[in-house]
Amino acid sequence: MKKSLFLVMMVSLLGFLAACGDDEPDLVVTSFTDELQEPIEYFEELHDVNVDLQIIPTENYVNTLRPALESGSGAPDVFTGEIVYLKDWVNQDYWEDLSQDPYNVDEWSDDYMEYVWDLGRDEEGSMRALSWQTTPGGIYYRRSIAEEVLGTDDPDEIGEMFDTVEGLLEVGEMMKEHDYRLFPDEGSIAPYTNGANPQPWVNENDELIMTDERMTYFDYAKTLRDEQYTALAPAWSPAWFASFTGPISYNVGWDELDEDEEQTDETEVFAVSLPTWGLHSVLEVEAQETAGDWAVTNGPTPYFEGGTWIGMYKDSENHELAFEFIQMLVNDEEFLTEWVSETGDVLSYYPVMDEIGEDYSNDFLGGQNHYDFFMERAEEIDASHVTAYDQTIEELFGTQVGAYVEGDATQEEALAEFYSRVTNAYPDLVIPDELEEEVADELEEFEESGDLEEEPVE
Amino acid sequence: MDKMKLSRIGIYTGLVILVIICFIPFYMMIINATRPNSEILRGFTLIPGDSLMDNYDVLISYMDVWRGFRNSLFVAISVTVLNAYFSALTAFALVVYEFKFKNAIFVTFIVMMMVPGQLGLIGLYDLSETLGILDTYWPLIIPAVAAPFTVFFFRQFLITTMHISILEAGRIDGASEVHMFHRIILPILMPAIATMGIFTFIGSWNNYIVPLVIIRSPDLYTLPVMMGALSGSPVASNLGAMYLGIAISVVPIMVAFLFLSKYIISSITAGSVKG
Amino acid sequence: MKNNDRKAYLFIAPFVIVFLVFNLYPIFLTFYYSLTNYSGMGGIDNADFIGIDNYVRLVTDRYFYQAFFNTIRIWGFNFLVQMFIALGLALLFSDIRLKLKGVSLFRALFYLPNIITIASVALLFSILLDWNHGGLNQMLLSLGVINQPINWLNDPLYAQGAVALIGAWMWFGNSFIVLMAGISGISRDYYEAALIDGANWFQSFKYITLPQLKPILLYVLITSIIGGLQLFDLPMLLTDGQGSPQGALNTMVLYLYNQAFRYNNFGYGATLAYGLFFITVIFSAVTFRTMYRKES
Repeated sequence: MKKSLFLVMMVSLLGFLAACGDDEPDLVVTSFTDELQEPIEYFEELHDVNVDLQIIPTENYVNTLRPALESGSGAPDVFTGEIVYLKDWVNQDYWEDLSQDPYNVDEWSDDYMEYVWDLGRDEEGSMRALSWQTTPGGIYYRRSIAEEVLGTDDPDEIGEMFDTVEGLLEVGEMMKEHDYRLFPDEGSIAPYTNGANPQPWVNENDELIMTDERMTYFDYAKTLRDEQYTALAPAWSPAWFASFTGPISYNVGWDELDEDEEQTDETEVFAVSLPTWGLHSVLEVEAQETAGDWAVTNGPTPYFEGGTWIGMYKDSENHELAFEFIQMLVNDEEFLTEWVSETGDVLSYYPVMDEIGEDYSNDFLGGQNHYDFFMERAEEIDASHVTAYDQTIEELFGTQVGAYVEGDATQEEALAEFYSRVTNAYPDLVIPDELEEEVADELEEFEESGDLEEEPVE
Repeated sequence: MDKMKLSRIGIYTGLVILVIICFIPFYMMIINATRPNSEILRGFTLIPGDSLMDNYDVLISYMDVWRGFRNSLFVAISVTVLNAYFSALTAFALVVYEFKFKNAIFVTFIVMMMVPGQLGLIGLYDLSETLGILDTYWPLIIPAVAAPFTVFFFRQFLITTMHISILEAGRIDGASEVHMFHRIILPILMPAIATMGIFTFIGSWNNYIVPLVIIRSPDLYTLPVMMGALSGSPVASNLGAMYLGIAISVVPIMVAFLFLSKYIISSITAGSVKG
Repeated sequence: MKNNDRKAYLFIAPFVIVFLVFNLYPIFLTFYYSLTNYSGMGGIDNADFIGIDNYVRLVTDRYFYQAFFNTIRIWGFNFLVQMFIALGLALLFSDIRLKLKGVSLFRALFYLPNIITIASVALLFSILLDWNHGGLNQMLLSLGVINQPINWLNDPLYAQGAVALIGAWMWFGNSFIVLMAGISGISRDYYEAALIDGANWFQSFKYITLPQLKPILLYVLITSIIGGLQLFDLPMLLTDGQGSPQGALNTMVLYLYNQAFRYNNFGYGATLAYGLFFITVIFSAVTFRTMYRKES
């Protein structure tokens, strides 16, 4: 009796759970943020259709979406790609060729920023994915702190101070004297290392490119840490977000070094390096308390980061509607005007930018016209060095710089470990010649000393 | 006698301290789930805050933890039911009938019990891709039909508790073999099914790597995958919401355990002694 | 009986079919991939058959050895702590003279961490152990135990120790219950006889409890090894999922996952799966033999 009751319960529970299906949407869009939610609502109203937005977190995006694109089962009609794997994807035959009839998107090309347009092309030059954005970066800073420490909050004057890394570090010293911190973390300096001499991470011969400029990341990051110019709040951590709104707790545990100073366990952060989208998707969301107290200016070198491209799946059954959606997102003046005025996003589409940029002031940035600033910076972008390896390699490099900054490894050890990890992840890549031997020695040493002597953790 | 009493008090004190240590992480989790991010960053306290609903709003706007709960429940129940039913069926056949390859099958079981689940992971992923069942629950659920360990356990149980004479009596009464399986064998196996069922359920509930590899749509995320995704999501900027998300994934199970603990613990005892 | 043969095939058919398709076939497929340089993308047809190259790489891969030693080290420490507490508790609660009450309550309380989703536990500790803002440092600082925050997850020893202790925390309750079951199965007569012979507590532990517990200890040890070698959830979610700090949390399954699904080296990932399998078999066999050799 008990048993059959149990079975009935199980079966009905399963039935209930299985019944939680959903009705068929007209269009399925997959992306890694909820950024497209509002455009989709706009689109749904416009065309009276039902669009389903699937959000897959950035971390799992590639791993989870790729199998569906390969096999076609469960693939969306429209999906976005971030710059970090864009290069890989445009050549994988996932996205429909938009250069061909009836789309002919090349006809629009004059209205767009060239680099954005070029990044969406495959090796044959056909357009696979488009983007409405341009994503140059800058340094956002707090006006009130600038006024107090630097005597001005003017973006141009501060931009001059930030014109070199040395200048940046000088400001860092002044900030420290007033108990502020220049940046939340050491990563904020990273864009200006490779930015000084932009090179791809991997060249056409599958060789890893290491430049002196890239190597400066080690030194600059170490300086930032050792001189206490940062607030030990790693990017995207809760403390990092909190650093935009006010003092955050700060305890380096180095009180021996500053015995005479009064120990403070809180500090406030002055500035952070972020690209265009950092304004509307990070600062405006997380830093409402300090709205109006921000401004944006240039760093030592131009750089750009991120950017979302969008295209339609080649085997989608809804090509027509899918293209409608992409067209609206990328080329619909009315929609884009509304989008820009709502979000503050910076577009790669000149007609709208020219019109809006004319006299614009952003309240969050204390009335600054950031379009002017960013459109100028965008012209300096050189996207030719983007490769499919960037994300993984940069992650590995950052980890090793971190180990050096923490004092866990010497620069040579960290570099050797970096090379070793790169070849471990990509066995086909060749690491720089002159260093290969050095790395081999380093490895030998490691093997002799590393694994053998350690006891179980105590 | 006094010495005995004293040492007993000492031991109880030690035990209580151990319990406290065991529960501090959960306590911190629950307290912090009610506090705003800014306060959590500033320090630690034993007193709950008043931001429970705010945290809940932040959490739920990005991730439907309850959905993950339902998904995990669906998968774990399906796995448990299939595992129990088909393992019983197979064990029944192994014990009652004589047939070719019986020994070969049995030896294969023993060998397979030593194979770590990860060995076939890459193959399972690729098979699922070929069959077009990636991003569905099929690759998580179907393999439960073939669980060597459960069959082995049921077989041992049947051998010691079932008399063939019951079946012969049934046959004389004209009952079909399937009917006898459902009416006679399953009830006999019930204690063993309960024991293995608990292990199977917990195992499926906690499984992280297989759904991580197989499932891609957030709608289908099981709880562990959702927890993994939480740390890379916008929720991660709000520690209070993070703690709350973890708490939601943990507390219902803790409550369920309190009701079932006697049963679960006797199952573990039985499983270890017989298994 | 013999005439029931055909029905038997029918009964075992679901098991056999699913077993062949979802169990055995993936294992063979994995083996086949381990002999190729398949990236996991674009179908196996695009991959080359490279023989045992992957296996050659495996035996010279220092990250594999690193993963192996990390896994063993973490498991070993975890097992020591877990068994120390579990055995201690089991002995206390089974002591005839102490007659402790509340066994079932404590069993339930100590077992509780074991049923919590490991992924949730990992996530919880990843924020509790945070350097600057984690609950643990905040608590220790406010209690005055430490006067500087400790960067738990940035120090290889602390990080490995943390994983081991979290594992011990989750599993000592389970081992406690199993050992209790084993001890309560030992006949009281032995102990009474030992008392009469004037044996002290330690002697009766060494000459009665331990030998009698052997099968149970073997069970706990083997299941713990097999589970421990597959350590994945905790290191995956506690730090960056790539073995930070400094490769200290790079475990064998994590390495397998990263090679196959993060770096798209399916072939090598498959090889790692077989390396893990080989190690598991060796460890199980060695444990089995050493536990039983002494008897003969």
